[in-house]
Amino acid sequence: MKLTDRETAMLNGENGPVVAEAIDYLIQLGEAFDAERLVDIVYCHYPAEMGIYAGSVEDLVEYAKRGGKVAIPTTTTTLCSDLERPQITGIPKALADLQAQAEEAHRRMGIMETYTCTPEQLGFIPPFGSYLACTESSAIIYYNSVIGARTNRGGLFTRYAAITGKYPLMGYLLDENRKGTHYFKVNIPEERLRSNDAWTALGFHVGAIVGSDVPVIEGVKPLRQEWLIALGATLATSGSVTFYHIPGFTPEARTVDEAFHGKVPKDFYTVTEADLDAVYEKMSTVKPGSKIDFVDLGCPHYNLEQLRVVAEALRGKKIAEGVRFWVCTNRMTRKQAEYSGYVQDIEDSGAVVVADTCPVESHMRQSTCREYGLEIPNVKAMVTDSVKMSRYVRDLIGCETVLAHRDHCIQAALAGRWL
Amino acid sequence: MMKSVYKVRKIVRGSATAEAIVCPDSFSFLGDVDMDSGEIIAQGNPNKGKNLKGKVLVYKETKGSSGGCVVLMTLAGKGMAPAAIVTMKPADYNMTEGAILAKVPFVCEPDRDLLSEIKTGQIVKVEADAGTVEVIGDR
Repeated sequence: MKLTDRETAMLNGENGPVVAEAIDYLIQLGEAFDAERLVDIVYCHYPAEMGIYAGSVEDLVEYAKRGGKVAIPTTTTTLCSDLERPQITGIPKALADLQAQAEEAHRRMGIMETYTCTPEQLGFIPPFGSYLACTESSAIIYYNSVIGARTNRGGLFTRYAAITGKYPLMGYLLDENRKGTHYFKVNIPEERLRSNDAWTALGFHVGAIVGSDVPVIEGVKPLRQEWLIALGATLATSGSVTFYHIPGFTPEARTVDEAFHGKVPKDFYTVTEADLDAVYEKMSTVKPGSKIDFVDLGCPHYNLEQLRVVAEALRGKKIAEGVRFWVCTNRMTRKQAEYSGYVQDIEDSGAVVVADTCPVESHMRQSTCREYGLEIPNVKAMVTDSVKMSRYVRDLIGCETVLAHRDHCIQAALAGRWL
Repeated sequence: MMKSVYKVRKIVRGSATAEAIVCPDSFSFLGDVDMDSGEIIAQGNPNKGKNLKGKVLVYKETKGSSGGCVVLMTLAGKGMAPAAIVTMKPADYNMTEGAILAKVPFVCEPDRDLLSEIKTGQIVKVEADAGTVEVIGDR
């Protein structure tokens, strides 16, 4: 790999051993994929070290002590605990205390403690065409597809990218990898695609077909940011889609022709309501009339408008006994929602507004970190408006699920049954 | 006799000789494997109930959350990681990062479809630097 004088100096330790190690890892990664050089990145969404991953927080604390300091604006993704109000998720205190150490280390490293899967909702919008290093599959796909900024599916190496402000020029940073590979024509009435659950079902269906390729999805109108977030989240659940085009809506595809870089395939997939129905059927295993004990909204994290709508629906009502109802968001939005009275409306009903985490990211796993006193989560049937949540909780928590419109999720919470 | 040395592309250095565990579909480290024990827990995976620890994990391609590399690191930290990873499709960056840090040899894009050439339980030798995967024989 060709290095600049400055990069060579970093590798030789002129900026200290932490930076030298970081750039060495990035060079190893670049060489594995024949990257020709490193590029400057402008922003990083960093994999918040989670208490449930053994040794992860300890490693972070140690890294911060060694002098790790980020070189570019850096935000963090979710934790396994709501740090401000850990008791609301029922996390054992020892694990919450361990997780809290991450916050101090992140601050020390110059990282902003946003703890969300959707930093794009907090105003972290890098310029079109700029390079990033990003973790969290739903944020990655959003930045690539909706913003037109360029990132690969980052994981642990986003740390080294943040420390150096560098990343190998490869994958989705390169023009040639940003052309569409699969053509989808969506033949679904517009009114069917006006809720989160429907967009997550669409993403799940398409993602399962394309795997890690680049779908071009024609014939949909994503008129809300949260629908695009929902679509991307599940394209990266059933598949590992990093980038998609919606001709006429996403910035690198003003037309179908542009989406395919001029080579529109003859073959295409037609997506119909029956395809969505099949996803609902697969994700809904609870019989109508049966008891439910968990309702989750906010996968990915809800925005202020979504909290407002939930608050309005719950105002003056009580959820059924024996039901846990989480509405997940980021801490900045929760602060605003407290100010606006939405948190009180939601919590007076018996539901909770959870920040920094979600059921999948939290301590509720079938088995992990038993040393912290985690028990097998006693969730039997979860109702959610996100396929991403239902798919992961099945295996991680081991419960039945229902995929439904947000309004029906709320009705189920009030009734204590899937109606 | 069937060919038993296959050409692969090196992603992460190292070598390993161990029993193969062949998953015919795509694989997600988040959700498909128990982080504590290394046991495959995915519904629909023919190897559900088997353990990844010390095995050569062969699968089609990586899918699912970018938390996958953290799961691999966590398994490695507990000594539960696979001995090597072989994927049919090109390597995913996320998993590559996990494999570099976890020091798990990782190769991909074999010259033949190893999902049909290799059977779970056979002993295979992965030599990342030489770019080969070899079937040594049955257990």
